[in-house]
Amino acid sequence: MILALETSCDDTCAAVVTPAGVILADVVSSQGIHDRYGGVVPEIASRHHLELVNAVIDDALATAGARLDDVDLVALTQGPGLVGALLVGVATGKALAAARGLPLAPVDHLQGHVAANFLEPAPFEPPFLCLIASGGHTLLTRVADHAGYETLGRTLDDAAGEAFDKGARLLGLGYPGGPALSRLAATGDPHAFAFPTAARVAGLDFSFAGLKTALLYKVRALGEEQAARRSTDLAASYEHAIVEALMARVERAVDQTGLDRVAIGGGVAANRRLRERIAGLGVAVHVPAPELCTDNAAMIASAARWVTPLAFPDYLALDAYASA
Amino acid sequence: MAVLGFDTATPSTAVGLLRDDGTAFERRDDPPAGARPNHASRLLALVEEVLAEAGTGWDGVGRLAVGVGPGGFTGLRIGIATGRALAQARGLEVVGVSSLRALACGAPGEGVVAAVLDARRGEAFLAAYGGPETIVAPVALSPHDLAAAVAGLAPGVRAVGDGAVRFREQLERAGAAVPADGDPVHRLGAGPVCRLGAAGSPTARDSLVPDYCRAPDARPR
Ligand SMILES: [Zn+2]
Repeated sequence: MILALETSCDDTCAAVVTPAGVILADVVSSQGIHDRYGGVVPEIASRHHLELVNAVIDDALATAGARLDDVDLVALTQGPGLVGALLVGVATGKALAAARGLPLAPVDHLQGHVAANFLEPAPFEPPFLCLIASGGHTLLTRVADHAGYETLGRTLDDAAGEAFDKGARLLGLGYPGGPALSRLAATGDPHAFAFPTAARVAGLDFSFAGLKTALLYKVRALGEEQAARRSTDLAASYEHAIVEALMARVERAVDQTGLDRVAIGGGVAANRRLRERIAGLGVAVHVPAPELCTDNAAMIASAARWVTPLAFPDYLALDAYASA
Repeated sequence: MAVLGFDTATPSTAVGLLRDDGTAFERRDDPPAGARPNHASRLLALVEEVLAEAGTGWDGVGRLAVGVGPGGFTGLRIGIATGRALAQARGLEVVGVSSLRALACGAPGEGVVAAVLDARRGEAFLAAYGGPETIVAPVALSPHDLAAAVAGLAPGVRAVGDGAVRFREQLERAGAAVPADGDPVHRLGAGPVCRLGAAGSPTARDSLVPDYCRAPDARPR
């Protein structure tokens, strides 16, 4: 069995997955504490990971009905992410593996999001295009095989999930406001206001910084009272712009590559409008279960199945990396 | 059963093993001044080295002694995460050891010892001990408050640690004796960590946490 750890941001995650990709346990301990700061505080995230990680591992093993004796491979997220947070998982995973003489598979977090698609019971086989959109990353990739991906486009500034959260803050919805913004948008008119979709950004790259600024100006122009009265329309139009910005690049990539298979991942994959739009593309679409779209360790275990593991003691010096 | 001990509160990585027969083994990594600490890349490798040198496999280790700071946050977390995971993997007892007490225990001789570590941001971590007695519990202080705290200790108190070197001027003016800069007494060694760990009582794995001595910077990313 594979025991996997994921601590790249603010969720402390451990999973037990079989080599065939069957999930036996997938435990996520979310650190709700960041909400009151209006964003993830790296130092607080690191402190919580350290406090939680061993208990989360115990929980995953117990849920899987397994013991450490049953573990054949330890997998962990090596990067990218918050380096202090990553280091807790890296130090923990290395020590667990070393003390038991097990091999270790270091996994790239973004490859993990891609590999969420390979898990049972409904694995989606390459080749396909994969859009990964969350609060931390936004990229469009071509997945030719199980072991890697080619980046076709990435955000030049904010991540899509970050755009949701920043928009929600401007509308007074608190943090993390993405889901609240989508709920508000459900009853609004997505065409009431025209927000930019970074149409001038060529190719397959994304940009969301201008969108946030456009919403700020629109809210100011309307004035507090009008903005509050039209909050559903503002939310719907803002969400529409994010989804269309994502979809424009996906459609372009489908045209350019001729690939007629598309997968999505990351927290934004839970967005209903994005799901509806992508389902209407007329291509084969795969969306992993919601708990496999947001950060989790099962996807890290999945990716580890195609990583050449490092034998003991070759990984003792392994370090985390912050950026891709 | 042997005690395996390590500390990562300072830029150094210090690892030791204390056998039942009293034989001690030590390994350490000291990055040059100003260089990035090597805790992540060296700690486990040094652990394997002392285990090999002592001829003690994991089966011969019964207890872990882990330095809990105060010190650099990231280094402490690497050390404590490693300690907790080793305990989890091997079913070992674990004892948290104050890094400042370990530093003070490394200073030979009698009398009150002020253990002072460079806390960055222009501050110092201080604790003072008279033998087994804690006179000043670990605290983060400005140079001014450090001098005032040390001035209130016994005259001729010895101050050791990288913080004692850094704040030599203030400490000496406050009446402390600070050994020469290069004196090994300023380096936190794994020997005292192992000895304090052997004498202490084990804690629950999940209550082994750093003694941060400072609130986190609450700035979102
Ligand atoms: Zn992610």
